[in-house]
Amino acid sequence: MATSRRDFLKTSVLASSLLFVPKFLHALDRQGLQKLADANGRRLVVVQLGGGNDGLNTIIPFRNDLYYKARPTLGIKEQSGILALDKDLGFNPAMTQLKGLYDQGHVAVLNSVGYPNPDRSHFRSMDIWQSGSASDQYVSTGWLGRYLDSNCPACQVPYNGLEVDDTLSLAMKGALRKGLALKNPEKFHQITQNRFLAQVSGEKPAGAVSELDYLYQTLAETTSSADYLYQTSKVYKSSVAYPTTEFGRNLKTTAELINSGIETRVFYVSLTGFDTHVRQQEQQGKLLGDLSNGLASFAEDLQQARNFNDTLVVVFSEFGRRVTQNASNGTDHGTANNVLLLGGGLRQKGILNNAPDLENLLDGDLRHQLDFRSLYASILHDWLQADDKAILGQEFERLKGLV
Amino acid sequence: MTTTQQHLQHLYWRAGFGPRPEDLASGVSPRKALRQLLRDSEKVELLGNPAMQYQEPLTPFVALPSGAGTPQNGMVTTPDQTALGSRSKQPPADASPANRGELLQGMNTLPLLRRESMTAQQRKMQNDRIRQAFYAMNTGWLGRMATSPAQLREKLTFFWHGHFACRVRRPDAALQLNNTIRQLALGKFGDLLLAVSKEPAMLQFLNNQQNRKQRPNENFAREVMELFTMGRGNYTEKDVKEAARAFTGWGYNGQSQFVFRANQHDEDPKTFLGHTGNFTGEQVLRIILEQPRTAEFIATKMYRFFVNDTPHPAHIQPLAQAFFKSDYDISALVEQMFSAEWFYEAANVGTRIKSPIELLAGIKRTTGLQLADSKPLIVFQKALGQTLFEPPNVAGWPGGRNWIDSSSLLYRLQLPSVLLRNAEFQVALKEDENDIAPQVSKSDRTFRQQVKATVQLAPIQAMLAKTAPNQQAAKLSELLLQTPIRPENLALVQKAADAVPAEGRLRAMVTSMLSLPEYQLM
Repeated sequence: MATSRRDFLKTSVLASSLLFVPKFLHALDRQGLQKLADANGRRLVVVQLGGGNDGLNTIIPFRNDLYYKARPTLGIKEQSGILALDKDLGFNPAMTQLKGLYDQGHVAVLNSVGYPNPDRSHFRSMDIWQSGSASDQYVSTGWLGRYLDSNCPACQVPYNGLEVDDTLSLAMKGALRKGLALKNPEKFHQITQNRFLAQVSGEKPAGAVSELDYLYQTLAETTSSADYLYQTSKVYKSSVAYPTTEFGRNLKTTAELINSGIETRVFYVSLTGFDTHVRQQEQQGKLLGDLSNGLASFAEDLQQARNFNDTLVVVFSEFGRRVTQNASNGTDHGTANNVLLLGGGLRQKGILNNAPDLENLLDGDLRHQLDFRSLYASILHDWLQADDKAILGQEFERLKGLV
Repeated sequence: MTTTQQHLQHLYWRAGFGPRPEDLASGVSPRKALRQLLRDSEKVELLGNPAMQYQEPLTPFVALPSGAGTPQNGMVTTPDQTALGSRSKQPPADASPANRGELLQGMNTLPLLRRESMTAQQRKMQNDRIRQAFYAMNTGWLGRMATSPAQLREKLTFFWHGHFACRVRRPDAALQLNNTIRQLALGKFGDLLLAVSKEPAMLQFLNNQQNRKQRPNENFAREVMELFTMGRGNYTEKDVKEAARAFTGWGYNGQSQFVFRANQHDEDPKTFLGHTGNFTGEQVLRIILEQPRTAEFIATKMYRFFVNDTPHPAHIQPLAQAFFKSDYDISALVEQMFSAEWFYEAANVGTRIKSPIELLAGIKRTTGLQLADSKPLIVFQKALGQTLFEPPNVAGWPGGRNWIDSSSLLYRLQLPSVLLRNAEFQVALKEDENDIAPQVSKSDRTFRQQVKATVQLAPIQAMLAKTAPNQQAAKLSELLLQTPIRPENLALVQKAADAVPAEGRLRAMVTSMLSLPEYQLM
């Protein structure tokens, strides 16, 4: 590590350009953080399942004949270990850990979440979920980015929203504020570090006016954030065992940051690979096990540090799959899907609405019962105490008493 | 910003993909350079080579259409391709409009296998081939941006690529749309609009294949008005519905060609933007062009792309009026724009954040950069947020400050060191950034290697030959940066150059200069 860093510094001028980070940004004004603290210290962790997770084989309607009729070989049999919940639904057998959390009252399930005129393209539908738009609207900011915009207009720090990844998702891009993407604080810090930082010059007045100012400001914020995150993350090292998967590692990073006392209110983590057109069972089972085990470790970690009660985890995917299995023992792109909520302070637990209606399909796909923007509105307003209407651009009926 | 060289650089950055040192050495006036750019872009050279042709995996032999395999108009069908049944033809070096139809006809015309009926192996192979074809199209175009004399045509093609943003899985359809745009990029906007509207890629992307009399699909009609011509607020929901009826029956066949299906077309009267008649799709597009608002919308969008992110009504109004009067002559519009005095004012120079493609193509063009393996160029595009042929949606790339976030800025600033000095670079891309051909393995999404590249710095060296060593950094900054360099940065670049042996000095200096925040601007 140390060697490669030295090599990098030798060959990279990136480091040297950091010399000119304006001084005013080093003593970052913390006034904006007060505003975030108004969210009662609560934080949101969004887990994105990329590729369109098959919700029907995640939360299985195992007492519904129509399910087995539509999926003669892909349908999961009760005796193969379905983890029964109430209302004739059960978790996929791979989700034993999540079942444990469910039994403790830390999980809530929303069925058939979607939006009108669903789009079956991965990237378009993900765009819709991430921007929080209607299916015929094109919005270049994300719902969480706009939360950062609206809730924290004076913040100078991008780590108010953190994505544990190498690149930043649309969801985390606001018009004024953008989240920060990092895989791990130490590596991120290495990239922005350089030994000349003390010699900084090029002081400029605060506030980005020109495009050049904006670039320098972004650079300065990035550097300062990287420094802060690195220093803070050293405070807490997790002792909980996580799955040795990329997703597991990313959740561990998230937990370590939270337990270190970082002020970040919004985190974003992804698990990909759910595009199961072929031989779905094996692949999805593995991924759901990864999800379940990862989230269970995460919950345990936060519980140990007493941070679970003010954390809300939301698990979503850009769409569900077709109700009917295809010829390759897989499923094709569908529409509405379930959303999982996880946390120590859930106001409502268990299965919160009706199971998917398999009798009343539209062209073979589930009709949505609940618009995802209603869920966003509830989270923004009731959990993060933000102005949901301003952030979503219109008023959506909130789910009373959900969070 | 007063010297001729600075004006020239500005013109080359905005009307093309940046200046080469030799462009500046000639010392021509911007006016003369603009005329040359227009002249050099008169010829249309279509994009295409065998690597860009997608081949269906495991397809049984398919009979060729009569005439295929026989060279016509300089076209070549290689025996190999014929044997594979791909029916692909290599585009001629000079594809004039006359032979274009045949050229497009020659593209891969096989319908895709139904994905549901494919084995996992077949799917993987299909995905790989689709990806390879898109990679070839992407890097082929990027290479052309860096080297083609037809800079203005390629820049306009790039502009329209974002304006008529379209993302489809079929490489042949995407390439065909791209070449249609290239062909008409500097012609009449009406011709371009009509041709793009009839492209299979666009008809598929905006669901007009499903637009039938009995069951209209409004997607295409809506986007044509909202994003391609007039903009929101200038038509009603009723206009969308009526226009959609006019486009019923517009579709494409298995040979990637436009077809009009009369039995699906709604022939009844429609009332659209105050006009009533049994309108066809063509007539609806004509009515849209009769709205001065359309000229204004396009002129504004071009101004924001070529001049300044912030529209300046006093500059745009005359452009829009002349554009309308000229029956939408794009060439005349860009000529008017690039010769306007305000175009060279300081407020418009060095004030636009380069898009990732402009950044990459610009580095390539200015330094003569060549990569042994061009795949990293795709990785950089994805990491920076702009991949050719993969716009985020039909609204295209939002641009401006939207390009910059913490990680994309760091990647941008690392890029020159990676390309010119083999610095280590690591990124794991998101899966959805590869959606054209999904199911990319994690190892394929993770980039961790050193880039092998060569640069041609001799022309820059020649430009600096008469400059004293301690003045070279300053001189170089005038060549590479469109905004004045800060004295501290200048000292730093100088210091970086002094720290390396003489033979590496220039390369170190160029690398440093390209790594500055200032270089992100044009």
